Amino acid sequence: MNYVIETNQVSKIYDGVVPVKAVDEVDLNIENGEFTAIVGPSGSGKTTLLNMVGGLDRPTSGSIKVNGQELAGMSENDMIDFRLKHIGFVFQSYNLIPVLTAKENTEFIMLMQNIDRATRNERVEKLLTEVGLEDKMNSRPSQLSGGQQQRVAVARALASKPDFVLADEPTANLDSKSTENLLDIMARLNKEEGVTFVFSTHDQRVIDRARRVVTLVDGKISSDERR
Amino acid sequence: MLIKIAWRNIWRNKIRSLVVIIALALGLWAGTFTSGFYKGMMDQRINDVIESEMSHFQVHDTNFREELLAKYYMEGAPDIIEKIESDENVLATSGRVISTAMMGSANKNGGAKLIGIDPDHEKAVTNLDTKIVDGAYFEGVKRNPILISQKMAESFKLKLRSKVILTVQDLSGEIVASSFRVVGIYKSGNGMLDEVNAYVNRDDLQSIMNLDQDQYHEIAVLINSHDLAEPTAKKVQEMYPTLEVKAWLDLATGMRYMVEAGDTFAYFIVGIILVALLFSVINTMLMAVMERTREIGMLMAVGLNRRKVFLMIMMETLFLSMIGGPLGLLIAYLFIQSTGSSGIDLGAIGETYNELGFSAVVRPQLDLQSYINISVMIFIMAMIAALFPALKALRLNPSEAIRKI
Ligand SMILES: Nc1ncnc2c1ncn2[C@@H]1O[C@H](COP(=O)(O)OP(=O)(O)OP(=O)(O)O)[C@@H](O)[C@H]1O
Ligand SMILES: [Mg+2]
Repeated sequence: MNYVIETNQVSKIYDGVVPVKAVDEVDLNIENGEFTAIVGPSGSGKTTLLNMVGGLDRPTSGSIKVNGQELAGMSENDMIDFRLKHIGFVFQSYNLIPVLTAKENTEFIMLMQNIDRATRNERVEKLLTEVGLEDKMNSRPSQLSGGQQQRVAVARALASKPDFVLADEPTANLDSKSTENLLDIMARLNKEEGVTFVFSTHDQRVIDRARRVVTLVDGKISSDERR
Repeated sequence: MLIKIAWRNIWRNKIRSLVVIIALALGLWAGTFTSGFYKGMMDQRINDVIESEMSHFQVHDTNFREELLAKYYMEGAPDIIEKIESDENVLATSGRVISTAMMGSANKNGGAKLIGIDPDHEKAVTNLDTKIVDGAYFEGVKRNPILISQKMAESFKLKLRSKVILTVQDLSGEIVASSFRVVGIYKSGNGMLDEVNAYVNRDDLQSIMNLDQDQYHEIAVLINSHDLAEPTAKKVQEMYPTLEVKAWLDLATGMRYMVEAGDTFAYFIVGIILVALLFSVINTMLMAVMERTREIGMLMAVGLNRRKVFLMIMMETLFLSMIGGPLGLLIAYLFIQSTGSSGIDLGAIGETYNELGFSAVVRPQLDLQSYINISVMIFIMAMIAALFPALKALRLNPSEAIRKI
């Protein structure tokens, strides 16, 4: 079986007066096309785990493979490049560059990959239409609602055709209507285009929409349920 | 796209950016204008020195300038002059006989420097005829005419046609006296020279001092370009190795130093101002980077590599500096052009300057090369200023940066 994400006994210990074992020997495999929620109480290690899977942080021990490739040996620069090409990110906030329009924010990732203009324009248009923002292409983030900003972030995350999208509490700052709307879009992209999503959340309504729910408690997986 | 982002980032905090831009513009305006003012003053002084005092270079017997004795004359001076004038760059020459003298009037005795000239040649070199304030330029007095300065006229209580007794040492060291009559009164604009210089006919002075017609003490040469002064002097020196040929820069003590220091001064002023501005630019940009920690972290997370982050911040700083700097230069240029043509009258302070040999009306000016050099200095300053904030941004750790709220 080929997994998009494969973690093997991954741990992360934060040094300090009292060392914190934020993630504790986690084995987690994610298949292509899954729609997975990572849940758990605050401080259970969700962000830490996602950051390691996304190559933003390195595990203290254990190994992580993305699309079969081991992350551990990569240099900082290779890692940035790897993130650019293989992983889409949606954060809780501050996702967008304030001085760029929705269109430019989405295009930005492709520019970094030296994709030609025609392809860029076509993709940006398609993505922003898919997230329902075809009429907001030239708006700057400050002119968009929180929900709209997160939708641009999803479009941006997909611009580089990543292997999967990591979203750390993407709906935490949204009202229920925007949350619903964002999840509709994510679920549809997952279903129709086979985009793999891994997201963390506290929100029961979000958890309810996930097709797989991985629960963390004190850095360990306490349950892993597919439905 | 990076350029677009950098450019737009500048305008995110309009007031802060404008403050920096205005500070840069004002600082450079002040620095550049001061340089232009100083340079204008120096250039005028240099022109004065060349056109009414030293000319471009002078030829003497090697001992003359030090000892000022009659016996250190140059033999066959008219031939030397002819040879010098054969150079196409030479505009005019003046052969002089010079002696220190005691000048006596009915009221006072005092020292003077007597310069024996051929009036026609002298005026072509120093414009002496244009400085007459009373009487005429060697016209109207038949025997032993003398041209004295206004200062001398006042201190010796002399008027036109007054008689003066001049006592000099002749060739053999004998003291000889003879009487002259004031033909004209001049004012040169250089108080120190006016204190001592008096002009007489060369023939008259030669005969008093027992010198032959072809024996001069000094040959002053005016050529068509300041820049050619030293090379031409050098050529003449090679032709007459036993004489002393010195360009204007070396004729007065401190002149070369003053001229060279003048050039350095301009850059020194601008340099100091730029260093001060450097800190304000660095400060502003560091603030801008700190404020955007999360945003920069996010950019690095989604795949903007460190080189590009570095470039982005560099460009932002460069843009900021490159708006304010050239703006200041432009304003300075306009100022220098307008005051350069109208001149700035120093008024009361000007009198003091005048005593020191400077003109009372300053016409600021700055040559293209200086503008270019100042621009290069601004650019270097901007690069240095850009470095620190960009390095700061590089040190951000994306996973920590995005956790911060
Ligand atoms: N940089 C750090 N240094 C030290 N400890 C840290 C650091 N980052 C996180 N931790 C600790 O690691 C543990 C896991 O944190 P993490 O942010 O992964 O939890 P989380 O599940 O995402 O919580 P939340 O739901 O509140 O976002 C916590 O105990 C936290 O205090
Ligand atoms: Mg978290």
